[in-house]
Parts: sequence; structure tokens; C-alpha cells
Amino acid sequence: MNLSDLVLSIADNKQMLGLRYAEWATRAPSLEADIAAAAMGLDDLGHSRVLYGCLEPLGSDPRGPERESDPASLRALAYFDEPWTEWGQFVAANAILDTAFTVMIEACVAGSVEVLQHRLRKMLMEERYHFLHGRSWLRSGIDAKPLDRAWQEATEWFGPAEGETELLHREGRLSMGPAELRARLEEQLETKAPHVSVDWKTWDPVRRRGRPGAIDLPTFAMLRGLEEKKYAPTTAAKQAAPPA
Amino acid sequence: MSGYKRVSGDAVEYEVFARKTRGEPLHQVGSVVAPDDDLAMAYARATYDEERWCEMAIVRKEHVIELWQPGEP
Repeated sequence: MNLSDLVLSIADNKQMLGLRYAEWATRAPSLEADIAAAAMGLDDLGHSRVLYGCLEPLGSDPRGPERESDPASLRALAYFDEPWTEWGQFVAANAILDTAFTVMIEACVAGSVEVLQHRLRKMLMEERYHFLHGRSWLRSGIDAKPLDRAWQEATEWFGPAEGETELLHREGRLSMGPAELRARLEEQLETKAPHVSVDWKTWDPVRRRGRPGAIDLPTFAMLRGLEEKKYAPTTAAKQAAPPA
Repeated sequence: MSGYKRVSGDAVEYEVFARKTRGEPLHQVGSVVAPDDDLAMAYARATYDEERWCEMAIVRKEHVIELWQPGEP
């Protein structure tokens, strides 16, 4: 794994986080929370675009043709595989996973790679409001189940203590390795992570997750533009339409 | 769907102020309802960020000291 793989992982995760946020834009507990869900969704979709745009300047773009046909080729966490059914899942993702991605972006911005230093800095300002939103809702109290799962997946996503992420840290390209990233996440959230047991032997270093699976097919079709095509006029209808 | 109510009984009203340039005064652009300052900041930014404000601030409505109200001399 190189830095491009990590950046693609952040991008794919932010894309899915943005989509899952947006699904709650009419279902959150208050009108303000609806609007915040929509705004945070737009932010994260925008961030994913910026991150995808960093791949070429980094010198290698790991995206292959399989991304058009295989939903398991996308590098998002299992937490985003299915739409969330409970507000607690939203809050746990907002507080823990969104902040975990932000902490990794901090490590990129404070690292030695110029394109990441410059292009990702603005994200940190926008993410401040995601963090305030997530932390405040977290304090209001949610079920332990989505919280534990989010901590588990964040820990897996940071990677093993002596893995490639730590190597990027030692090379100076990231300012933090897995241990520092996790400590920073705990510091930000003012809480200790629950005990997390990760089987690194079955962990997927490309997708940075332990669980198999993939995003749901309707979401995958939507990402590929197939849902949009259903509503596009047919060629015959286009030819029959009068010129604009 | 979650068991959370869509309207919190603990919610507080905040007034939102903003300005586009340093030369103009802050003016009220709206309000948000939230249970604490952190969430109010997040909501204000999400709700009123469509313009390019150079400054935005919120204040609890209960902290505004009114000198008089409509209809009063």
C-alpha cells in the first residue's frame, strides 16, 4: 500500500459517508438536524472529489475498471455498506468515523507531501462543524452497539501498529501513525475507546476493514449513474424532441 | 426509525448574526434551535452558510437585552 491507496480510502469513505448523511436529510430528530445532515453530506461529497483529484498529482491512481462492476472494489468501511436505520448509527458515524477521517487528514496536512498539505487544509475547517455536531449528539446519549462498531471500524481503518500506515508515518509523509491517530481521536472525543480486538490476519489492507461485504446495489448503481440513466430520454425520444 | 423526538424539550433559541464584509455591521440573518452551544454553531453554519460571510456569530436569545419591543413607547 502506498499513500495513494490511503488517499483513495479516505475519498471512498467520505463519498459513502456523504451519501449516508444525505439519506437522513428528512429523517433526523429536528429540522435543524435535517439541514445539518444535508450540509454535512454535501461537504463530505465535496471532500471526496478533492481527494480523488489528489491521486494523479500523487503519481499513481489505484482506481481500476473493476470499480464499474464490483461494489466490493470500493474501499469504504463496512459501516457504510447498508443505509442506516437508526439515528444512533448516524451519530456514531458522525462522531467517531467522521472524526477518524479528519484525524487522518490532519496527519496528511502535517505530513511532508505538498499536494496534501495544500489541498486538504480547508477540509479541516469545515470538519470542525461536523465534529461539534457529532460530539454534541454523542453527549445526548446513544446505544452502545453502533458506538462499539464505529470504534471497531475506526481502529481497523487506522491499521496495524507495524503496518503500512506506520511506515508512512516513519517516512514523514504522515505526521501520525496508527497509535497516534487513535490517541488523537480519543483526545478529540474526550473519551477512551472501548476495548477493540482486531484479527489483523483476516484484515483487508486495501479496503482497511475486517468484514467482508460491499455497499448495497442500489447505492452502487446510483454511484455509477445507472439510476440516473433510467430517467434519461431514449435516443428515439431525443430525436423526436424539437430543437431547443 | 429512531425513538428520538423531532423537537427537543431542552432546546434553546439562538439568534444568528453575520456580515459579508468587514465594512458592514453584523446583522441578524435568522435563528436556530439547539440544546447546546456546540450544536447551535453546527446548525447555524449548516443553515446559513449559503452566502460567503466573512463573520458569523450566534447568541442565545435569552441573553439579548431588549430596550423596548414593538408597541411600547
